[in-house]
Amino acid sequence: MAIAIGDRLPDASLVAMGEDGPETVDLAARLAGRKVVIFALPGAFTGPCTTAHVPSFIRTADAFRRKGVDEIICIAVNDPFTLAAWSESTGAGPAGITMLGDADGALTHALGMEFTAPQLGLIGRSNRYAVLLEDGVITQANVDEPGVCEISTGEALLAKV
Amino acid sequence: MIAVGYRVPDADLLLMGAGGPEMVNLGKRLRGRKVVIFALPGAFTPTCDSAHLPSFIRTKPRFDAKGIDEIICVSVNDAHVMRYWGEISGAAEAGITLLADADSGFTRAVGMEFSNPAVGFHDRSRRYAMLVEDGVVTVLNVEEKTGQCQISAGETLLAAL
Repeated sequence: MAIAIGDRLPDASLVAMGEDGPETVDLAARLAGRKVVIFALPGAFTGPCTTAHVPSFIRTADAFRRKGVDEIICIAVNDPFTLAAWSESTGAGPAGITMLGDADGALTHALGMEFTAPQLGLIGRSNRYAVLLEDGVITQANVDEPGVCEISTGEALLAKV
Repeated sequence: MIAVGYRVPDADLLLMGAGGPEMVNLGKRLRGRKVVIFALPGAFTPTCDSAHLPSFIRTKPRFDAKGIDEIICVSVNDAHVMRYWGEISGAAEAGITLLADADSGFTRAVGMEFSNPAVGFHDRSRRYAMLVEDGVVTVLNVEEKTGQCQISAGETLLAAL
């Protein structure tokens, strides 16, 4: 499937870093009855993800909350250990952004968002997108072309909420 | 699985250079040299971060004194993650080379891959350390239990030289 307004996000098992180590997160249960922003990107510690994409949601996190968004989730095809380290180093964690690992890439694959750049060591990673979900249904979607970070930023999604 | 007396399979690994990830041909890198290779499940994971990598940071000067040309850490992560891990762990400063086996090609070729979906690990590397002389394994220390780092630690390999 592609990402389209009106579609329900496929169910997926993601991994989060909890207090006692990695925990499985059922995405459908997390989205049920809530207003959630999800943005996805190629990988922790990569250039534009670290310097542009994550900071754009750190800047806009409060504005999203004022508009009734319950949670902002960043998804990447990384393991939860790497995401926890990245969350700390970028300041995303303190800003209240949740990092979830699509460690096996299943969600990314189901959404048709995967890309591979072996020369960069990125295998089955995610293209950049940002979506607003209401009760698990996509109500706004900003999908970037591979390699750019423009319409999937926090500000661009916020303008549509 | 690889064993003493075997030639290390050729593989292309990634090293973060000044301008981005660079391909490193392992076969060429090992030719005519005495190299220590140690591998672990992942950057930023507890035992790797707190025990395995530090054990080689501690022992690096003693390996140097014994004529080891290079100490290489291999993990199934991308080069961006490895660079950051190398920086904050002090491994880069200690002169340890961190190479990314992003597609697990090397790890699978040496028969060391394992998966643990509950913690977001897919085709990661078991923990081991080996001495490689002119491309041939002369000492191999494979950790037997998960979450432990004794057999594969820097001190243990050093004692075998």
